[in-house]
Amino acid sequence: MRGRKNWRRRFVWILFCAVLLTIFGAGVGIAAEKQLKAGFVYVGPVGDYGWSHAHDAGRKYAEKQLPWLKTVYIESVAEADSARIIDRFIQEEKCDVVFTTSFGYMDDTIKAGAKYPDKHFMHCSGFKQAKNVGTYFADLYQTYYLNGLMAGGLTKSNKIGYVAAFPIPELVRHINAFALGIKAVNPKAEVHVRWTYAWYGPDKAREAAEALIAEGCDALAFTEDTPAVIEVGQEHTEKGKQIYTFSHYSPMQPYGKDSVVSGQLVDWGVMYEKILKDLYEGTWKSDDQWWLVAEKAAILGGSFSEPINPKFADELKAVTVKTKDFKALSVYDLIFKRYEQMKKGSDVFDPYMGPISDNTGMLQIKAGEKASKGELLSIMYYADNVVGSIPK
Amino acid sequence: MLHFKVSDREQISAIGTFLTLVLALTAGMVVIGLIFLLCGVNPFFAFKKIFSGSFGSVFGFKETITKAIPLILIGGGLALAFKAKFWNIGAESQLLMGAIFGTWVGLHWGPVLPSPVIVPLMFVAGFIGGALWGLIPAILKIRFAINEVISTLMLNYICAEFLILLIVGPWKSKKKFGFPYTDDLPDSAILSLLPGSRIHTATLILAVVAVVVLAIVIYKTRFGYEVRVIGENPDAAKYAGIDFTRTTLLIMAISGGMAGLAGIGEVAGIHHYLSYPDSISSGYGFTAIIVAWLAKLNPLYVIFSGIFFSGILVGGDAIQISLGLPAATVDVFNGTLLFFLIMGDFFTKNKIRVLSGERA
Repeated sequence: MRGRKNWRRRFVWILFCAVLLTIFGAGVGIAAEKQLKAGFVYVGPVGDYGWSHAHDAGRKYAEKQLPWLKTVYIESVAEADSARIIDRFIQEEKCDVVFTTSFGYMDDTIKAGAKYPDKHFMHCSGFKQAKNVGTYFADLYQTYYLNGLMAGGLTKSNKIGYVAAFPIPELVRHINAFALGIKAVNPKAEVHVRWTYAWYGPDKAREAAEALIAEGCDALAFTEDTPAVIEVGQEHTEKGKQIYTFSHYSPMQPYGKDSVVSGQLVDWGVMYEKILKDLYEGTWKSDDQWWLVAEKAAILGGSFSEPINPKFADELKAVTVKTKDFKALSVYDLIFKRYEQMKKGSDVFDPYMGPISDNTGMLQIKAGEKASKGELLSIMYYADNVVGSIPK
Repeated sequence: MLHFKVSDREQISAIGTFLTLVLALTAGMVVIGLIFLLCGVNPFFAFKKIFSGSFGSVFGFKETITKAIPLILIGGGLALAFKAKFWNIGAESQLLMGAIFGTWVGLHWGPVLPSPVIVPLMFVAGFIGGALWGLIPAILKIRFAINEVISTLMLNYICAEFLILLIVGPWKSKKKFGFPYTDDLPDSAILSLLPGSRIHTATLILAVVAVVVLAIVIYKTRFGYEVRVIGENPDAAKYAGIDFTRTTLLIMAISGGMAGLAGIGEVAGIHHYLSYPDSISSGYGFTAIIVAWLAKLNPLYVIFSGIFFSGILVGGDAIQISLGLPAATVDVFNGTLLFFLIMGDFFTKNKIRVLSGERA
């Protein structure tokens, strides 16, 4: 009898342990499905029609793609306040990673990296990194080059305008890429630049666009966060004077359906998805993520559905251009050939392939050499078909 | 027919003033609560979030104090100007001018002078910068009778453009990849922070001392008396032989100077270099207007109202992040409170009688 009782007791114990193990195991199972929380700091309102809007669209995309991701965001954060917001994201919201999406947040992001060594930080558009702080950027210069090919083919006056916010390397890089594209098709055309000193300044952008048109420009590209330049182009076009414009950052074609030829679009979503996945899987390392057309972060078009407004397709097909690698072909075909090359990688084709001289006659990039990333990040000269000089 | 008759109250009791203040704040909160409701957010939850976000945690409180520093300095100066009914709406640019002057001193002499010399020098320069910029509308008013609301407001834009001119032009750093920022201030010119926070102690102490001194000046000195008389009855002031020109100039020098101190404090304590105007100030010059009103234009109370509004700004982050409300919520909050505070002020100073029948 005794043995039997022992056996029963043992059985109960085994059962008990089994139940315990199951519960514990399930607990471990739940814990293994870990979550990641990401905080996003935006410099403008998410309702702007440019930068912050595009980042927020990227955040939403990533959240949809990644079931284990939770995000929080805050808009219109002045540079001075970023340290406080980062602290709040880490301490109060318990974020694992914080994305700071303005150049001005750079120093505060680096400081936060040192303050919270077990958290991760990603700073957009900066150049400082640390063990747990990476940088990332989606650059549009290649698509500006493709827009330049179009502008060069379409212009009648051989004067092309560019409305630009601030004289910083990013914008100079855009202007030059645009100018190099124009030059590839139309060596006689020149580029005129107007600075507005505002990322969001519809009034100033409008004024600058009007001034450029008055000067004789019939094609306009820009880098600032409003569709003002496009609206001006559309108004003139409706009055009978065709002005070709190129949308920037967001799909602005609806603002100028008779004026917008194409433009540059950005997709932060694919980039955020990749970065967050790396962080989640532990394969993240601190470096500079610099995404171009090949990574699908930069997209050609004034709307996501068509790279070139069909209204201008015939005009572009009618212009022939001679190139070294493709012989003679229409500008329209050249654009798509170059776009395909860019999709393969910037070593297949890049606008910044030498020889490139500045507009004072100095050789900046030697024949057969491609501008390094460092050179592109600090570029502060005008290509030789841009008029004037960069404000010092 | 109903109509209203507005007349001055002969007697304004302290208790009445206090009750109006409480009533105005409550009414403001109720309206803000309704706005929260319209946004689909439980107002009690939102208020709890705001105040626990700014006062409820050590982290939040440290940030509240950090943001209160410029608000106290500017609010104190504005209280003085508003006491004399000089409507200084230009603290925003007086702050920037102080930042410009102070930064210039820091950048030029910082590398050669030790910290105990350069820091006071920068604050003196900041005060002078703000004071000079504040004197312009005062002179315009005295000499050409130009409305100071317009001139101080417009000078904000001029100063902001001037700052941009400096940072994209002659003062632009060569070390910042072409971005429109000045060089960093040298280490000796940077204010030390309270460990584990962003509170720049020197400016905090300066702010508290300044408003205490200002309170003494307003209520205990002859100059303060003159300021109050000019504000309450300019004609009487004239007959009493009060020098309107001299007093107005002094008021605006002090009011602008205090904003200038806030400006250099922000640069030397937080930013360490000059950049875009809205980044240097984040609207302190305007928020401080409400701070001064809530303090009933008493510089001493500005300490509390400054911390209160700073709390709303800091708590605003919390409701934005956790409730997903837009950033403009905080502006709506502040604007609504100011509206009710000024309305309360009107009812304190005036007696309103509802009359029926024919207009007399």
